[in-house]
Amino acid sequence: MAKKSAKILVFSTEKISDPAIDMAGLLKLHYPPQVYTIAMRCSSSIKPKWILRAFDKGFDGVFIAADGSDCAYGESCTEKTGHLVEQTHNLMKERSIDPARLRMAAICSVCSESFVKQVKSFNEYLLKSQE
Amino acid sequence: MQHETMKKKLGIYICACGGNISDYVDIEKVKEAIKDEDAVILAKTTMFACGDTNQKDMDADIKANDLSGVVVASCSPKLHLTTFRNVSERAGLNPYTYVHANIREQASWAHSDDKTGATEKAIQIVKAAIAKARLAEALNPITIKSERSVAVVGAGVAGMKAALSLAGMNDKVYLIEKSKEIGGKLKTMDVISPEKQSGSDLLKQLEAEISNNSRIELFTETILTESSGSIGNFTLKLNTPTGNCEVTVGSVLLATGFDTYTPEEGEFGYLSHSNVITLPEFKAILQNSSGKQLVVNEKEINSVAFIYCVGSRQVKGDNKHCSRFCCTAAMQTSLDASDKFSHLQCYHFTRGTRSYGKQELIYKATNDKGDIYVQFPDKKPPVVETSGDKLSVKAVDLLLEKREHEAEVDLVVLVTGMVPDKDETIGNIFKLPKGRDHFFNEIHMKLRPVETVIDGVTIAGACQGPKNVAESVNSAIAAATKAHSIIAKGELQLEPIVAYVDKETCNWCNACTDACPFSAISPIDFKDKKVAEISKSNCKGCGMCLPVCPSDSIELISFTNKEMESMIDVLAQ
Amino acid sequence: MQKEPEILSFDALVVGGGIAGGETALNLANNGYKVALVEKELSIGGKMILLSKVFPTLDCAACITTPKVSEISRHPNISIFTETDVHSIEKLGEKNFEARVTRRPRYVVEADCTACQLCEEACPVVVRDEYQYNLVGRKAAFIPFSICSPKVAAIDIDNCTLCGACEKVCPPGCIDFTQKPREYVLKAKTTIVATGFKLFDPLKISRYSYGSAKNVITSMQMERQLAPTRPFHTILRPGDGKVPDKLAYVLCAGSRDDSVGNPICSQICCMYSIKQAQLLMGALPMADITIYYIDIRAFGKGYDEFYEQAVSMGVRFVKGKIGKITEKPNGNLSLRYEDIATGKLKEADHDMVVLSVGVTANAEAGNLFEGKKLELDVLNYVAQPSPLLSPSKTNIEGVFVAGTATGPKDIPDSILSAGAAAGEAISYLNQ
Repeated sequence: MAKKSAKILVFSTEKISDPAIDMAGLLKLHYPPQVYTIAMRCSSSIKPKWILRAFDKGFDGVFIAADGSDCAYGESCTEKTGHLVEQTHNLMKERSIDPARLRMAAICSVCSESFVKQVKSFNEYLLKSQE
Repeated sequence: MQHETMKKKLGIYICACGGNISDYVDIEKVKEAIKDEDAVILAKTTMFACGDTNQKDMDADIKANDLSGVVVASCSPKLHLTTFRNVSERAGLNPYTYVHANIREQASWAHSDDKTGATEKAIQIVKAAIAKARLAEALNPITIKSERSVAVVGAGVAGMKAALSLAGMNDKVYLIEKSKEIGGKLKTMDVISPEKQSGSDLLKQLEAEISNNSRIELFTETILTESSGSIGNFTLKLNTPTGNCEVTVGSVLLATGFDTYTPEEGEFGYLSHSNVITLPEFKAILQNSSGKQLVVNEKEINSVAFIYCVGSRQVKGDNKHCSRFCCTAAMQTSLDASDKFSHLQCYHFTRGTRSYGKQELIYKATNDKGDIYVQFPDKKPPVVETSGDKLSVKAVDLLLEKREHEAEVDLVVLVTGMVPDKDETIGNIFKLPKGRDHFFNEIHMKLRPVETVIDGVTIAGACQGPKNVAESVNSAIAAATKAHSIIAKGELQLEPIVAYVDKETCNWCNACTDACPFSAISPIDFKDKKVAEISKSNCKGCGMCLPVCPSDSIELISFTNKEMESMIDVLAQ
Repeated sequence: MQKEPEILSFDALVVGGGIAGGETALNLANNGYKVALVEKELSIGGKMILLSKVFPTLDCAACITTPKVSEISRHPNISIFTETDVHSIEKLGEKNFEARVTRRPRYVVEADCTACQLCEEACPVVVRDEYQYNLVGRKAAFIPFSICSPKVAAIDIDNCTLCGACEKVCPPGCIDFTQKPREYVLKAKTTIVATGFKLFDPLKISRYSYGSAKNVITSMQMERQLAPTRPFHTILRPGDGKVPDKLAYVLCAGSRDDSVGNPICSQICCMYSIKQAQLLMGALPMADITIYYIDIRAFGKGYDEFYEQAVSMGVRFVKGKIGKITEKPNGNLSLRYEDIATGKLKEADHDMVVLSVGVTANAEAGNLFEGKKLELDVLNYVAQPSPLLSPSKTNIEGVFVAGTATGPKDIPDSILSAGAAAGEAISYLNQ
């Protein structure tokens, strides 16, 4: 029996969070299958308009698996990713999209369990908010 | 950027991975679902996409069908992106026309509990990869000159050996050590098992070789404070006793070693009883003891209890890892102690002995000399009791029908394990990721065991995980070989993933310059205005400048608006 | 026979095409050195290419080995000699080695074979398949295994009846019974010995009933049953084809055992048994799996965590050395052992037993060199005169050693030692 799951777009990063998501698979830590990942170079390179487009096209949620302080391109990553999320939250409000449909968390390269926990709880939130 | 006029011809390969994928994802269904996608002219399933046979098939298919791009849906790109880029290149395609889809780690394995869901996800992932492949541009790698020199950080046994090995391969080496003396923990090792060589003799030998080698420049009492640049050209700032200086190197080899676990006060009586000491402390005492009677803290020592796994394989604490070297180290120390003081009775309280390989012979030797082994349960560690001057170790013995075993001894030696270096400076400077055990992490234990995700930075010795001397040296020479391969040609090819500016729409505002961590962006004159320009050799392709541009004039190669949006659109379906 | 041996010159000669030899060859070749890689079997890849998955990451062995093998086989700086025996290697002077080797005929023209397997179908002769560790049969005209390299058919001439059936069906007509052994002289400036290890032969422990009790197999046979290129598509006990549901692993079969002349620990058996147990729990979710052990030696990076994972998955670990294995009329096996936890002698019933066979030395390395012999240690592994500071050096200057030729090693350590051997060889060539 297939469980209902929300459609979530994850922006991961090639060197930090994507390896953690890979490891979640390796360890068979299951999470909802409608979670799709696009791996970026760095989480502070995501354009707000891409996130808005994801909502327009039918994604229920967008999750940024951010580099945090591990980012290979510098510590400013955390702040910059935070800023773009804030900016996008404002744009979402303008468009009457629930800002909680965009989440961000720092996922280190071995944070597989944390990733799975995060997307599961995000999935539950999104399903609940659709009811 | 003329490519859009020419329609792509794509070949798609879906890998079964010998069951790893096909046990959970219906790969035939995936093939059916994508074979009629726009631009796809060939779709196949294969047992092992990475196998030689399939690589040859791909080569033939590309040529026979005049393909202009390839997608392989298989394992994580960290394993085989390069493999398939190379296949494309050999068949005459530009390697960057290849796009990888990860349907193993992120579909079959992640959703092995839901075959339908896994299959549907795999279809979407492959479709998104096809969407990207339709737009993927041919790119040429950026070639840069590389310094033919390596900085080796840490002059313990691994660092010294790596430096000598690099020098032997004719590379210039800067060997950087924060302490006054080189040698790390080698000098504290009395006898190194099973070869019975003393650490200080080895050190003398290495020191002489290093000082006689003109290719090695040694910096002691030197702190590495900053690193800039990247593979091929790292500039390292050094704080030396004679002032600050800079060195430029092609590659950095880290051999920063480990720390010995320090027991907490009261842990097995440590610090609360003077004759509870750690293994390194005991070795130091032994090294300086002679005569007929071993005396520690004015007490005659006739019996010793070793307690194993102190700070390793912790049931409660953070150190879950096995420290690998310590079982044999404790056994060897017992042999050394008895060599000097033949009447000593030694007890070993273990959680199962791990004298792997030939080290088993050391374990045998301790048995032959009459040592007594007690194996305590994982969750029921021994208790060290003191009453007045007396010390005793009590444990449940799994080897004797779980009977309580009590040994009254004169000295308790805590066999302390290896923990990651508490000084995290170097790891932070290079942004090196750590594993679950908090030691530096290699890219892949078997494929790339000395490389890190930071291009050009290799790791050697116990900073990667616990190792004995021989194992550290092995990894040090292996890391030196890798570092040598990186720099030996004098030039390097870098990924051409860089950002570029649409000069027509840019109205120079400085936001991108502020965002760039590599000072790669500067203004230039264009027509009647100032616009931003990004230096190809300084840009690292992080994309931090992308979202800050108010006119959306910056694109990152291979992550362009078109590519991102087409992938998002496909995944949203 | 050809009149004169063909003389070929290289920078380095690597003896042994397993994962250590292959990795050494790649390291050298990537630095611009010309390498001759000599392998006695029909395929390179050694034992690793035949494994199922590898601990502690559970990557499939093929996924790691096949791309390496593929890189080796097409590297412009590497010349591969499979099915080749080394007669002698002589050091004529510094940086001057000469090896006499013979390449046995495959009776198939390598360049023309397309691996279509029609010869295999046509061949009427069935013999035991050594690449599947005798679990199944193969033909006398055969492709060794599906991911072998080179992927080319061969004729097993000892078992061939010369009926010609294969010749008739071969589309490119590449079967050639007139092929003769080819002699070569390989000149090289340095030599790397990567001759690997041999698996312990369990027939030496008669009380374990290997060979007589049908459902006692070796760990390598289980490895093949679990591999992606496996002979059956599930796990079967060989006696009657039943799917087992009560399996036992007997650790230290031929290791830590003076009575069979192998006093040392084989270093890999605990971990591969734990790995197989985890894989079996996936393949046969209802099966009970018990591992009988003396000590669990999970010492490498992430190994202890992997062991704990097996415990939490429900693999049963029993501390006790198996004394005797007896076959029962229904094919099940009775294991007699001393249960260390209770101190009592016990009997346990299992329907399939896997002997976790150990590593022993491949003493052939001692006969490779003419003149000054390559020195072996007391256990017949290649001796390391300077194990602490130069682990890959041997008693002959310019000859280096990689992988398990010096003693038991897991795959990560073998690969590291291959990197070290290549580094030492480059330094020697630069002298």
